[in-house]
Amino acid sequence: MNREIIVVGLSHRTAPVETREQVAIAEAEMAAAYRRLLERSHVEEGVIVSTCNRVEVIATGQHADAAATDVAEFLRTSPDTEIEGFEEHLYVHRGVEAVRHVFRVASSLDSMVVGEPQILGQLKESYTRAASLGATGTVLHRLFHKSFSTAKRVRAETTIASRAVSVASAAVDLARKIFEKLEDKTAMLIGAGQMSELAARHLLANGVGNLISTNRTFERAVELAREFGGTPVPFEQFPRYLRLADVVIGSTAAEEPVVTPAMVQEVLRERNQQPMFFIDLSVPRNFDPRLNEMANVYLYDIDDLEGVIEVNLEERAREAEKAERLVDVEVESFCRWLGSLNAVPTIVALRRRIESIRRAELDRTLASLRELSERERDALEAMTAAICNKILHAPICKLKERGDDEDEVFYIDAVLRLFDLDDEEPGAAKSGKVTPLRKRG
Amino acid sequence: MDIPELILTMACYLAATASFVGFLLTSRESLHRAGSVLLAVGFGVHLVAIGVRSIEGGRLAATTLHEALSLLSCIIVGAYLALQGRFKLAVIGAFVAPLAFIVTLSAVLFYSGVQDLPRTLNTVWLPAHIAPALLGYAILAVAFCVSIAYLLQERQLKAKRRGGLLQRLPPLETLDHLNYRFMVWGFSLFTLAIVTGALLAKTAWGEFWSWEPVQVWSVITWVLYALLLQSRTIGWRGRLAARLTIVGFAVLVLSFFSVNFVFPGKHGGHFG
Repeated sequence: MNREIIVVGLSHRTAPVETREQVAIAEAEMAAAYRRLLERSHVEEGVIVSTCNRVEVIATGQHADAAATDVAEFLRTSPDTEIEGFEEHLYVHRGVEAVRHVFRVASSLDSMVVGEPQILGQLKESYTRAASLGATGTVLHRLFHKSFSTAKRVRAETTIASRAVSVASAAVDLARKIFEKLEDKTAMLIGAGQMSELAARHLLANGVGNLISTNRTFERAVELAREFGGTPVPFEQFPRYLRLADVVIGSTAAEEPVVTPAMVQEVLRERNQQPMFFIDLSVPRNFDPRLNEMANVYLYDIDDLEGVIEVNLEERAREAEKAERLVDVEVESFCRWLGSLNAVPTIVALRRRIESIRRAELDRTLASLRELSERERDALEAMTAAICNKILHAPICKLKERGDDEDEVFYIDAVLRLFDLDDEEPGAAKSGKVTPLRKRG
Repeated sequence: MDIPELILTMACYLAATASFVGFLLTSRESLHRAGSVLLAVGFGVHLVAIGVRSIEGGRLAATTLHEALSLLSCIIVGAYLALQGRFKLAVIGAFVAPLAFIVTLSAVLFYSGVQDLPRTLNTVWLPAHIAPALLGYAILAVAFCVSIAYLLQERQLKAKRRGGLLQRLPPLETLDHLNYRFMVWGFSLFTLAIVTGALLAKTAWGEFWSWEPVQVWSVITWVLYALLLQSRTIGWRGRLAARLTIVGFAVLVLSFFSVNFVFPGKHGGHFG
């Protein structure tokens, strides 16, 4: 009768990309995949998550092991191919661990780069799709909503996602701390290279309005300018255009600095001391390190940026610990709810609640009716008890009905909410709480 | 007696300072909110204090040093609260709150009873002089706070320190623009105060200009600020401008006090 939550899948932590690719389920195949998943006899509810970093199924079933085997079978035959060494890449979580896994994934604690927020959106999409295909019920519905609110809480209460962890985003972050807005700014790209092009792309994506590119090979400058919608200038003439640039990215193979303090001194005068941000991505360095000592000039070389990222990663790791504690709290609260989705303890709690109301009201009435005889008191006692039992009879019968259908959990949840039994801690209910999460033999 | 209210005001400003500094160090959003609330509560209590004093004296309490300082810090906080939403000043509260605390503290230290105003001063030019003067001081004080934030932020960037402080302070360019804008406003009000001050002198003492210490100091400060604003056109921006703003504010404070203590002239005792 008890439902268990299981997670079966593989991720960047357990499987190489080749394997993940084979298991991944394309958008177009989703409807068919859900049909195949729900056909499995031990799977009741299911959500399929398929991203480039993970393919997993979150499901509920009466028998965790049987359901896990079903889901593993489902994943193996997903694209109708046999996958070598499939089993060893697979992870299976049950009960509390499954809940924790989903909450951690949503909060981006299980991501390749901890704190990157894309996964939450992907999870929401997966859940919405499952819900629209009728693959989710009370348990997964609540599980996913709780995982989203947990992720939201983690983002609000920790700074896990607020620090840049790539050279390009660190450069953008710094530019934002120097300039009020990037829209009216111009970037100059001196030389070419993978990292500098990425930085330029990031700056443009974050609003930088114009780009000037220059290169010893003019054709290359033209190529880059075309790609980014910028303006190419011949390398010999770039110092003349330097005064237009607010952000200057250097990545030439030059042995000597291509930008010197004397040059910048002149340029600053021409631009009325408007601040300039130099990003040196080349080794040996393109920009004279003394530039950083000049007023209104900020120079970051590759080591400085790496240093920034390192600090940010450490910060993220520290924040991740905080986040784990938040997740623990939420997991516990969810499991308490899940545990309470048991007919017997719910009935006990319901009876207890009604009885306590009856007792309190009866005592109050009897206290004001002192002249009643013993017999009359007994009659009142019996009558009130009978009313309560009659009222409770139908709901309790409904709760006791043991159906395999989703209804049961629905009614238990409804009773818990209607009578506000969620936070009640009676001993009887407590003993039932952990049961559904225990691994069954 | 407005001392009990002022003590309570100071407590609020001090608590706001602690909250804002705590926010700068830990980035807890709740501390930031607490700082703003405490500052607003302090401002409310401060208004009560000024109201009490004004009722006691039968006119707006703004003419003794004690009253002027109290009103000034109240206006500083009011100006900040009014400007913070519009310009997203947020963390500048970390600098404004302690300044307001210090100014209120000096108001308490320079406590004096209610004094009768010489009848000669009691003209329409008195409020016309006091209002722009105090408002001008207050805005220049906020500009001073913005400059301190600029220097802090600039140091973080130059030293390549990636602490949370860098994250929470506004961008350099924003701070520089704010500094300039507040300087223009403050300077305009200051100019207006000098003009109305001269008119007040004319009605009170019969002449526009008598080389009173306060007049001399005001002109020195005015010239300094005028040069400072002018220097922007030749590119004295950023760090240099921030440093000069701080120097300008120091001279302003100096003139404010020296007028009353070192060179007590006609103006002394009745600060306006």
